[in-house]
Amino acid sequence: MIDVLNYSTLDTTPQFDENELVSLAQKGDRQALSRLVIEYRNRIYHLGLRLTGNEQDAEDILQETFLIMVKKVHQFKGNSSFYTWLYRIAVNIGLRKLKSKPRKYDHVSIDDPDIEYISSTQTAEWPDFDYSQVSQKQFRKKLDKLIEKLPDIYRTVFILRDLHELSTEDTSKILQITPSNTKIRLMRARNFLKEELEKVMTEEGLI
Amino acid sequence: MKNSSELYKKICEYLGCDLNSEPCQQIKEHMAKCPGCEVYVDNLKKTVNLYKVADNCDDIPDDVCTKLLISLNLDNISNSGTESGN
Repeated sequence: MIDVLNYSTLDTTPQFDENELVSLAQKGDRQALSRLVIEYRNRIYHLGLRLTGNEQDAEDILQETFLIMVKKVHQFKGNSSFYTWLYRIAVNIGLRKLKSKPRKYDHVSIDDPDIEYISSTQTAEWPDFDYSQVSQKQFRKKLDKLIEKLPDIYRTVFILRDLHELSTEDTSKILQITPSNTKIRLMRARNFLKEELEKVMTEEGLI
Repeated sequence: MKNSSELYKKICEYLGCDLNSEPCQQIKEHMAKCPGCEVYVDNLKKTVNLYKVADNCDDIPDDVCTKLLISLNLDNISNSGTESGN
């Protein structure tokens, strides 16, 4: 069983000298460009996949993002980290794509957690169930459906903060919103997913 | 309450507050007498981790990588030994 409470997936800490690679890429070094693509392709693909819920759209986002990177890397001024710059490109492409398509699911109403209710009731603690179930297709589909039900502004924050483990500061810069706004959106997204997941897991007999 | 101190620190991190700030002290006082909040935060944490595990199951397909490098005209660049797995 996977120890989910200590599980980390998409570490954004560069395992290489990013500044040097970017500097070389800006001078037209194709090997440096290639290295940057290899370093970031999985993260950008994941981002697109979670954002759109669609493999073809994720591939399009991947292609467009790196085409822009190759074309505009010389314009990168270093005012933010390189990955923040790259993520912003990918998120903008992804959000534009989402706007151009009809939504798969109706918008849901996102509320703040009812703190009074939480404090006054004895909510059952979820058991340490077998997380290997998430690799099973049917269960994955249910997880994907829940995340796709989130309105774009909440889903994007959840993906960047919780799945890609970006900081509040970087997420705010990418989305061009205030850190407070990022925190509020994240709290609402997490709470929505928890509530919905509880229903799914109850149906599945997991809790 | 198990791990209440750790939990309180985590909540304050979520809120972005200094641990000695007034909101954090209020949380600490509340947590000491509220098992409902502890369960709530624990379940929230499990939700996030479930999605993290699920996310890690999605490897980028090989053909998508190949197409990407070809479209960028970078397919003939040697980068042996540089794959980070990220």
